[in-house]
Amino acid sequence: MARHSVIDDTAPLGVVIVGAGFIADHHGAALGASARARLAGIVDVDAGRASAAATAAGGVPWTTDLAEALARPDVGAAIVCTPNMTHEPIAQQIAAAGKHLLMEKPLTITVASARAVVDAFDAAGTVVMAAHTHRFYDYARAVDDAIAGGAVGRPVFARLALLGGWIWPDWRAWVLDPAKSGGHALHNGVHLLDLVSCWLRDEPVSVYARGRAQTAAELRIHDYLEMHVEYAGGANAVCEMSRGHRPSTLDRRDVLVAGTDGVLQLPADGWGSTVVTESGTSLLHPQAANGFAVQLDAWLDAIADPAARRAMTPADAVRAVALGVATELSIERGEPVTLDEVMEGARA
Amino acid sequence: MSERTLGVLLLGFAGLGPDQDHQQDMYLPAFEAHPGFDVVAKATDLTDSALADPAVDVVSVCVAPDRRADAVVAALRAGKHVLVDKPLALTAADAARVAAVAAETGRVCLPAHHQRFHPMIAAARGAVAGGKVGLPWNVQADFLVAGGTPSPAGELANFAVYPLDVVLALTGLRVRRVFARLSTYWSDGGADDFALLFLTHENGLTSTISVGRTRELADTRPAGLAVHRYRVSGSHGVLDLDASRPAVVLRRAEASSSTWHGAGTVDRLLDELHAAVAAGRPSSPSAADAVHIAEIVDAVRTSAVSGTPVDLPQEGSR
Ligand SMILES: NC(=O)c1ccc[n+]([C@@H]2O[C@H](COP(=O)([O-])OP(=O)(O)OC[C@H]3O[C@@H](n4cnc5c(N)ncnc54)[C@H](O)[C@@H]3O)[C@@H](O)[C@H]2O)c1
Repeated sequence: MARHSVIDDTAPLGVVIVGAGFIADHHGAALGASARARLAGIVDVDAGRASAAATAAGGVPWTTDLAEALARPDVGAAIVCTPNMTHEPIAQQIAAAGKHLLMEKPLTITVASARAVVDAFDAAGTVVMAAHTHRFYDYARAVDDAIAGGAVGRPVFARLALLGGWIWPDWRAWVLDPAKSGGHALHNGVHLLDLVSCWLRDEPVSVYARGRAQTAAELRIHDYLEMHVEYAGGANAVCEMSRGHRPSTLDRRDVLVAGTDGVLQLPADGWGSTVVTESGTSLLHPQAANGFAVQLDAWLDAIADPAARRAMTPADAVRAVALGVATELSIERGEPVTLDEVMEGARA
Repeated sequence: MSERTLGVLLLGFAGLGPDQDHQQDMYLPAFEAHPGFDVVAKATDLTDSALADPAVDVVSVCVAPDRRADAVVAALRAGKHVLVDKPLALTAADAARVAAVAAETGRVCLPAHHQRFHPMIAAARGAVAGGKVGLPWNVQADFLVAGGTPSPAGELANFAVYPLDVVLALTGLRVRRVFARLSTYWSDGGADDFALLFLTHENGLTSTISVGRTRELADTRPAGLAVHRYRVSGSHGVLDLDASRPAVVLRRAEASSSTWHGAGTVDRLLDELHAAVAAGRPSSPSAADAVHIAEIVDAVRTSAVSGTPVDLPQEGSR
């Protein structure tokens, strides 16, 4: 006979959002739609941004002091949406406060710090997950479902391209400073590196990458990245991430997976309707599940039952960082870089 | 037709593997259908009498790949023009030997890189050359054949020349650096059946080619192309080329298929052969183009073994 717990464990989890910038709104909307969690407050070093976001969210509390927010008993967890170089210290502070964390990708921008963050959450007994949101989009799940169902046999070759044009601000943007973003491989490359590794169900062993400063020769990041990953079981992947394409309205998602028993494709024109207007041709995206909401649920599942199988493990987050670091190193050297090297280097 | 009809000697009926016979399956029907050619003789092997026949203007060479370069050289030296099955030679050194004799004799030596004559590809070559996408900086290509008999020489030797020739014809930029991986995913024989080529060209253009042979697929005729496409990214635009089109798509109770009207790629290859002979000019592609492709394929093998990129010798540095 089923027994009902006398403790009310269904009260929604109080979550603060740290960093009220571009991506924070997506997390806020997901929280707003969730019955399992609620937005408990906003933290941003910029008081204006924090207060504006708090007001927009219906008047939740805001502060510029993370410690103050973490000290609140009704706050059980944080979603961090700050620039990449701040991820490590903020994560450590949240671990020390004994709260759960959904960290925007990348978990951190070095392998050593990513490991240290995971260790800190292990020690605290709380959950840390990196927001590799693409895993939770319909297209990625459709591909993953097909592979899981054996549609192509053992997947041996994957191509994933996410191509678009310039969407960043001007030269002052932190994204364009490799010291702050970790470089484009850590900033956006990790999305693809994580996703293909998840699809191929294999461990990466080396990366050969090529990068371009396409939009301007003076860029210190590579707005176009091509990343080849080789896997322990012999599979290969080619990932392309671009914010350097023109026209800047280009909106391209292309998937090809070849397996021992078949071939799977999401053609470039296969996930939307083509709209031709006076201002050009564009893609009308289909209605889709909100990936941020699906991701939020996966994180809440992990918090509810830390022992259950997780959609995205801390080891996955560290692996994505390692792949990003290997990519940047490979571009610098013009040669393949092994995962062992970037993992060992971090241990030493 | 006012143009002269050229007499053709079909020389050799071999290929890469026991059941590959492009002479019988591809070139013979195309020569027979072409108004500019007349098949006047057939021989399985090179003989002086065959080459001495004045009725022979063109030799279509499909002798076994290990003896192919010698046969082409003999035909050129006998004053004949040559159509040579791909690969023109198994090594860059052999290909260079052939190209030198072609240059010296002034005869046409056309390697059968017929995919560049595909109607979508031919149009794209013109568009790219005309600046439609601005200055190209990247090409991505997939050339995946499904089913058919695996080549015992490996699919790198068998197929890579096609997408390589297309990428070179699309961009007009020679390759300087090669990184490559070779795998065996589908065939039992142990020969490679999948290659990934990462090329760095002149002017910093990069290209990536996947090429191989998967197992058979219901929608693809045996040894047909399951995926054949190119994406050219340029400073001012993107060109997407799906070489499974143009197509009228037929859907029936069985697997669907597609059809199109007009000359095939081999027919257009023969148009080029005829035009080059008539004009007394080198063909495009030329034997020199085949040399560069053979250099790239050699570098692919070296890189696949070493696991590191290989720099190609610069033109004229030899
Ligand atoms: N999952 C995705 O699809 C996706 C998409 C875009 C960005 N991101 C990630 O989200 C994060 C934020 O990116 P963004 O584009 O929203 O950046 P943004 O620059 O728009 O916003 C960052 C915000 O963080 C605040 N901030 C900076 N340092 C802080 C600190 N120490 N404490 C508190 N607040 C601080 C800034 O004032 C700003 O409001 C990055 O890690 C990025 O990689 C993820």
